[in-house]
Amino acid sequence: MDRGKISKWLKYPEKMGHKYSLWAIYFATGCGIMEIPPVLTSRWDAERFGVLPAATPRQANLFLITGYVSVKTLRPIVRTYELMREPKYTVGFGSCPINGGMYWDSYNTIKRVDKYIPIDGWIAGCMPRPESIFIAVTKLWMMIDKGAATGYIRYRENYRYYRENQERILGKLDWPPLYPEKMGEDNG
Amino acid sequence: MKIMDREENLREEILSVFKNTEVSSPKRKRLTVITEKALISEVMKFLKDRGFKQLCAISCIDWIEEKEFELIYHLSSFESGIHAMVKTKIDRENPVMKSMIPVFTNAQTYEREIWEMFGVQFEGNPRLIPLFLDRWRDIPPFRKDFDIREYVKRTFDVIPSLEEKQNG
Amino acid sequence: MVIKIVEMIVSPILAFVIGVFFLGLSRKIMARIHRRYGPPITQPIIDMIKLFYQKSVSHGILFDLGVVLSLTGSVVVILFIPFGGMCPLSGSGGLLAILYLMLLAPLGMALSGGEGANPNISIGISRKFILSLGYEVPFLFVILAIMTHYKTISIVEIVRAQQGLHWSIFSLPLLLSAIAYFIILPAILGIRPFDIVSAPQEIASGPMVEYGGKYLAFASIDHALHLFIGIALFVDLFLGGAREPITFFIKMLVVFIIGLFINAVFPRFRIEQAIKFLWKWPTFFAFLGLIVALVVR
Repeated sequence: MDRGKISKWLKYPEKMGHKYSLWAIYFATGCGIMEIPPVLTSRWDAERFGVLPAATPRQANLFLITGYVSVKTLRPIVRTYELMREPKYTVGFGSCPINGGMYWDSYNTIKRVDKYIPIDGWIAGCMPRPESIFIAVTKLWMMIDKGAATGYIRYRENYRYYRENQERILGKLDWPPLYPEKMGEDNG
Repeated sequence: MKIMDREENLREEILSVFKNTEVSSPKRKRLTVITEKALISEVMKFLKDRGFKQLCAISCIDWIEEKEFELIYHLSSFESGIHAMVKTKIDRENPVMKSMIPVFTNAQTYEREIWEMFGVQFEGNPRLIPLFLDRWRDIPPFRKDFDIREYVKRTFDVIPSLEEKQNG
Repeated sequence: MVIKIVEMIVSPILAFVIGVFFLGLSRKIMARIHRRYGPPITQPIIDMIKLFYQKSVSHGILFDLGVVLSLTGSVVVILFIPFGGMCPLSGSGGLLAILYLMLLAPLGMALSGGEGANPNISIGISRKFILSLGYEVPFLFVILAIMTHYKTISIVEIVRAQQGLHWSIFSLPLLLSAIAYFIILPAILGIRPFDIVSAPQEIASGPMVEYGGKYLAFASIDHALHLFIGIALFVDLFLGGAREPITFFIKMLVVFIIGLFINAVFPRFRIEQAIKFLWKWPTFFAFLGLIVALVVR
């Protein structure tokens, strides 16, 4: 951890700020949310790494998708993601957002979340232990350091692809596109 | 009164009032009532007066070979501790059932779920609107003739991932 | 003249530094009370740096101006408060000016929130004003008792009168006022048990729902300044102020840490419970203090 290095702070204040102040909004979609309270409270204390629960998507920059995503919860997930301010990082928590997990043949569960919103990192497991959240956070630090956590840029660049996929599952979306200028051009 | 006697008394009481009804008690504190579609409301009322104050759940089984749906009403009594199952069978091609809301108000949500998952119409239920599913266009998903794998392939798997799309 | 201008620039910066230090310290001490390790003491600064580099979205001109107004209100109040012999606007207004200017911060927040058009904002703003109504009554009694006791409205005069351990907390009428002020201090600062305004779990941080990026950074700067104002006023009015900044800072630290222990262990009041409480005990003590001050005089 290079949180104490003043020289690095002066050189890259932007990167360091985003690294050590991750305010998480966690979407209580499934069982994964059970692992969040011990992470935030006395047992594991995520605050020592600067990870705080944020009250609203506007204030957050880390999006934790905890557990399976049903078709009905995909809509608020997309809305929440679009409400967050850039730069924003997404982490899929548990095996269900990765490939469906135990709901691989369910009629009502989204199988791969990264077809609908970009995901920066995955935490595999069913359930992952709270420690794995910290491993994910340290990996995310490394990615931010190298400039590899580019999910939000991917979303902007391929907005038409993502929006088409969302509309394919959810029908016509009732909010205007986030990047209207990207909707016209073909980026397939 | 011995413990087994309560079930026995209840059995005889039901048999004396309703025709075309089978009542059995497979084990202690269990009661199975198999009756016909028209009588079910009366049977439920009768049992409610005998202390079965709670409707725990309504479940449904799709007997596809017999072309029938079986509806099971789970009742429970706080006084005697007996769990009663009231079963009836309805036609699969035209699944219509009378709503149980006048007897048990909480039947509304259970009926709504069964309407959504099996397509059983409940006459008299004012709120048969989607509960869990979002914009469902297919046949109800819990029916036996609904092919889940085929549906998953057709709906979710055909969407290309970003890499597949970019690589053509 | 030059000294005055320098003081005008230095005192808000000093207030900001102390406020941010208190924010960081409060997080660390709270963590230790919860038996956690806690974030580093610089965490509020890290958060602010991040927030300034985040993209933010505006909802209109008033949305921007409200934040600025709220921040300006806080900065102006700081200029009126003597800080260890330093008081840029000592000649004018005194306590009465502070009393009125302290309302600018919630007003700015309300203006900004009206533009945000989120139902949580309206709930938060209405709670904020109801809470102000709750603490303004005992606060007014406290101020009146002090002004009656020292026969002046100038806060500099009050500080001067308390020199040499003649602190007003040692005289009976003002002891009652000090108790009243200490009880309403968390309500003025908007922290637990009176943080119903920005309760994150029920109304998603209330007036700050739509704030993100720079707006949230300004809001947290405003919070830090507010922390400074509330505690500095207590030190000036009851603990005799100080001649040099270091003593003043130590006095503030003591008040802050005692307040923080109360803050850390109490749950949140509902809004009507808060009003009931504020209009009962602090008002009773403050009113009694005013009566005694009038009689003793």
